[in-house]
Amino acid sequence: MENKKILVIIPAYNEAESIVHVVKNMMEQAPQYDYLVVNDGSTDRTLAICEQENFRYLDLSINMGIGGAVQAGYIYAYKNNYDVAVQMDGDGQHDAAYLEKLLEPIMEDEADVVIGSRFLEKEGFQTSASRRTGINILSALIWITTGQRIRDVTSGYRAVNRMFIEIYSKDYPMDYPEPEAIVSAIMHLGRVREIPVQMRAREGGVSSITFKKSIYYMIKVTLAILLCRLSYGVRRGKRV
Amino acid sequence: MIPSHLRVTLIIVVVSYFLVILYFLKQKALNLKYTLLWLVAGGVMGILVVVPELLTRLIRIFGIQDNMNGLFLFCIGFIILILLSLTSIASRQNRKLRTLTQELAILDKRVRDLERDCAAAHDQE
Repeated sequence: MENKKILVIIPAYNEAESIVHVVKNMMEQAPQYDYLVVNDGSTDRTLAICEQENFRYLDLSINMGIGGAVQAGYIYAYKNNYDVAVQMDGDGQHDAAYLEKLLEPIMEDEADVVIGSRFLEKEGFQTSASRRTGINILSALIWITTGQRIRDVTSGYRAVNRMFIEIYSKDYPMDYPEPEAIVSAIMHLGRVREIPVQMRAREGGVSSITFKKSIYYMIKVTLAILLCRLSYGVRRGKRV
Repeated sequence: MIPSHLRVTLIIVVVSYFLVILYFLKQKALNLKYTLLWLVAGGVMGILVVVPELLTRLIRIFGIQDNMNGLFLFCIGFIILILLSLTSIASRQNRKLRTLTQELAILDKRVRDLERDCAAAHDQE
């Protein structure tokens, strides 16, 4: 279990204020894992900071949104033969102290995809009531369409094994990918597990989802989940 | 029925339409692959102008009473089809662009890593 190669993917779009802290936190809490910042075409000093601090980073020359950035990390992990990949937001919401806990089900081969959930023990930053409502609706939708109950469907703190590094490196949803990626995981017959973590309010930068966008978000993600479910049909994917 | 001088006008329009497409193709400003649908649309327009009875019969099948309405419906249908194909082309290109950007970023990292290793090896000597 110890000799597994693990990569922590940290997508960062305009996170100049928080990226140093996120990476330092990662290096203090879990120095045994490799990390990789994916700069998603930031317009602020994110790239300059990565260079200056000598971080390990990928630099996407065009802004592609979180989906494209995370997928770049998965492609990197796939090409460099990593056994496990973790994704952790670049805005400081996720604490690297939970990495060990997040990785445990994968190390024990009890799960293929592990999602860090703030709603299981309801501790730490719980986000606003309106967002929780949105998340609950999406969670219910995934429950109805796939039969699996996942609470924190928008959590960007997740770990996947080699099987899903390969699947996600080939096909990862774009735009607002988190809920869709769960459906895709279930459709590939992945064992999806949720474990409780605490999250913090973001340290710097702005959330990518503003109020106006949230309506678009709900419509888009709902359609994406239905489409994703439909495109696999009743047969579902095969375990590879 | 369509008056004969209107038919002449329409024939001129269709011919110049083909000439414009041909011009763009020669200039390589249009990819033949993406022009096929435009050419088919032009072809159908040409046939309908030369044999307008075809249009009349066709739209009667669909239950449309007015010739002009039928013609407009055909035009709109074609335009929607072409727009749809454009959206699909844009989506496909978006996908390709994404893959390219990701590959470029990974290559960029590899080059940086190699440069660093080279510099380190050089320093050791």
